Amino acid sequence: MATTATKNGQSFEEFCQETFNPKKEFTKPEALKGYRVLSCTQYILGPSCASYLAELGAEVIKIEAPRRGEAMRHTTPFNEPFLYPLSRWVPERGTGLGFVGANPNEYFMSLDFHRPEAQAILKKLAAKSDVFVENYRPGTFDRWGIGYRQLKEINPRLVYCWLGGFGGWGPGRVRASYDILGQSQGGNFGMTGKQEIFGGAPAKHTIWLADYWGGMMGATQILAALYYRDKISGEGTFTEYSQVHGVTRQLEYALPLYGRHGITRERWGNWDTQLCVHGIIMCGKSSYPKSENPQEAEEGYIMVSAYSDQDFARLCHTVGDSSLATKYAKADVRIKAQSQMEIYPALEKWAADKTKEQVAQILDAANIINQPVWNSKEVANQPHFQQRGAVRWLDDPTYGDLLHQGPAYHLSHTPARLKWALKPVGADNEYILGKLAGLSAEEIKRLEEQECI
Amino acid sequence: MADTKVLPWPAVPILKPEEVYAGLSDQAKEYPLFLESICRQEHNFEKPEALSRVRVLDCTTSMMIGHWCSSQLSELGAEVIQVEPPGGDPLRKLTPFGRKEYMFKDKESGEECGAQFLHEMRNKFSVTMNLETEQGRELLKQLAVQVDVIIENSPPGQWDSWGIGYRQLRELNPRLIYCWVGQRGQWGPLKDKPGMLDPVAQSACGFVHGTGDPKEFGGQPTRSALWMADHVGGSAAAMGILAALLYRENVSGEGQFVEATSAEAIIRILDYSWAWYSMDGSIRPRFGNWDLAINIYAVNPCKDGYMMVGGGHDRLWYRIWRTVGDANPEVEEDILGDPHLREVADRLAYNQQVKTYTMLCEWLKDNSRSEAEAKLGKQQVASGGVLYVNEVAEYPHFKYRGHVAETDSPHYGKILYGTTPYQQHKTPGRLKWLGRPTGYDNQDIYRRLLGFTRDDFARLQQAKVI
Repeated sequence: MATTATKNGQSFEEFCQETFNPKKEFTKPEALKGYRVLSCTQYILGPSCASYLAELGAEVIKIEAPRRGEAMRHTTPFNEPFLYPLSRWVPERGTGLGFVGANPNEYFMSLDFHRPEAQAILKKLAAKSDVFVENYRPGTFDRWGIGYRQLKEINPRLVYCWLGGFGGWGPGRVRASYDILGQSQGGNFGMTGKQEIFGGAPAKHTIWLADYWGGMMGATQILAALYYRDKISGEGTFTEYSQVHGVTRQLEYALPLYGRHGITRERWGNWDTQLCVHGIIMCGKSSYPKSENPQEAEEGYIMVSAYSDQDFARLCHTVGDSSLATKYAKADVRIKAQSQMEIYPALEKWAADKTKEQVAQILDAANIINQPVWNSKEVANQPHFQQRGAVRWLDDPTYGDLLHQGPAYHLSHTPARLKWALKPVGADNEYILGKLAGLSAEEIKRLEEQECI
Repeated sequence: MADTKVLPWPAVPILKPEEVYAGLSDQAKEYPLFLESICRQEHNFEKPEALSRVRVLDCTTSMMIGHWCSSQLSELGAEVIQVEPPGGDPLRKLTPFGRKEYMFKDKESGEECGAQFLHEMRNKFSVTMNLETEQGRELLKQLAVQVDVIIENSPPGQWDSWGIGYRQLRELNPRLIYCWVGQRGQWGPLKDKPGMLDPVAQSACGFVHGTGDPKEFGGQPTRSALWMADHVGGSAAAMGILAALLYRENVSGEGQFVEATSAEAIIRILDYSWAWYSMDGSIRPRFGNWDLAINIYAVNPCKDGYMMVGGGHDRLWYRIWRTVGDANPEVEEDILGDPHLREVADRLAYNQQVKTYTMLCEWLKDNSRSEAEAKLGKQQVASGGVLYVNEVAEYPHFKYRGHVAETDSPHYGKILYGTTPYQQHKTPGRLKWLGRPTGYDNQDIYRRLLGFTRDDFARLQQAKVI
């Protein structure tokens, strides 16, 4: 690629800025151009999985229930912000922000899967697709004649991806699931938060982590399956992603420890069980004491990391606590639970009359790893994340200016990109049905009147 | 501690198919049994691996994001060579609260390895290489022409200044996919701000600020117990690598430069935080174990722990209160009679959520997790208790499906672990081995790929290059 060729004297950072420049995304090709994905999904897990492929350039067709669309369009924080219209049939309502982030770059079609006519249309689309993503209750699509067993007869190259809570077989197969249930039962929920003796309780990860990250796992597996299909077998496959299984995969040392010693990993709050100092402390002063927003008016927090003996000595020197430095000079002493219960409060005492920015400045000067705990406003306004395109302004074709997240990673030659955040329900019915199902304007109108689309 | 008697896993036997599907009609059990026939992990080794032709050099050290990334590829069949500094990755030494007795000891050499590192060293070869020496970097260049993917995490520009960065290696191997991973990024204003391990990234992206109870409930910003952002960042890196691989095979024949960071991966999945802020200036607040956008959708205390109950729309809302009403009719009556709780949308307001969950807890306090789940399950309401690790390990559904399994390592003995969720019909992910002692594969890899002789090993070991 000529534009990224090494130039004499170009520093590495300049090279990176040019190579990964988010403003140049549209001057480059897309990795998945030519792949077609059908996304018969709702909520977050399934939709996000398909959307990661849409960011990479696949033509993703999201198929929802006619008129009001899928459930996630009807969720939004405190029922306040909405993007209007919901659909051309329901202009007085909007799409809730719960939908944002899980469906970018997609084409939106509506279809009532219950009807034989809709099923016939879906089969026509599946015959021309590479990937099929769905998250209905296990066996539902099979019963309707549009499951893996039927579609692979029509299109043996189809990669059929089911995502859900517990999986379609085994004693818990009939259980419904949501992200928060996946977190609860998979095991990461019970470990997060303060321990009982400090007045704490298990804590939810604020994002729909098991969903959004589970979608990444699904997309990873789909990409691997496409690679195998295209390079080796010529055949599709069926993948089953259980989000509760994904969460259990994430538990680090917890399962080996339990299996060998019968010890249950407990919560350890904002500290770290394996490194000390490597935790989050409170800074007594608010960075925005006059703000009317309680999110800003509260005390600040900062993550501090100084786990090597040299770093810890420097931290103690900076904090001016020589007794701490002597007592906990050695890493293996410092890491003990009782030690941590003395070290972190001492650090908080030092930070009690400072803002997180003041603490960061002092620690930066001493070359000690730190990271202020930023709220979403502070993150959105970081030049670092803006320049890298992690958070960016989008001139959305339907909804106008929106701040939106960029892709989760950067590619030099075929960058993932953001084209639009979402569209109303059924916005692309005519385009997709005309192009892929060969339906005339008249037929489309009839289907619309019958609420089949 | 070592003398404590621990029951072998599983303490309770794993259910058999005839127990799981007892009493079902042939028609009702036909589909789940079909899924079992194509997805059960015991068939894994009858099937090929999706990425068996891909070779990956994971040169990351002291950082989890890279190890997680290469684990995704190795579970799917790639040949992943873990390059460690002589003496091993410092992460090998980590163990909870410094307790050496929790480490896993190699039967032969006695070398100890912490469980977290071990859990991610799945299907990987371990090779030692000192990249701080000129000779070590020569070895890397020789390997670079024989691999598809290199993953590294050195400080920004370090490899470039050493002559082994993307700009130099792509000249040697134009097909190479070169991936850099880190917490915040190798370019941009924060590139030189140090920090290798989560929760640096969790704190930098808005996640920590938004997790935990609100201040008025006595809460504060809360990190994930896990190095969770490193897992998400590693998954993002794996997606990027596979997309680059597909493009190379299908279109360009060329590799490319991939960069993934833990902070940005979480920014990507922090749902509506950014749009919401841009619409009305809202800052994503903490809302504890409740949800800003859905009610009922929360975890609350119950008789023996914490209980998740979910049902955002009307159908489930009424089923939940009907279930509650069986034992607490006054609660059901109060909720159903409240005009402010009649519309789905109205229930999201802060005060209505406080009321909803206060009333729900009236019922939950008399029900254990399993009792609540059984009662709500009858109404097809999604619910379940918060499980601790001992319960996860013994949960019948997880054991039956093999979400948790035990492997018998030739080096470390029996290890309980979380299996790969890449379940599949044709090319499933799988575990071949879990963990290797440091440099265990030096002989194999250096002989097989670089034609080393006895003399080479002796010379380079003495020079502390390998």
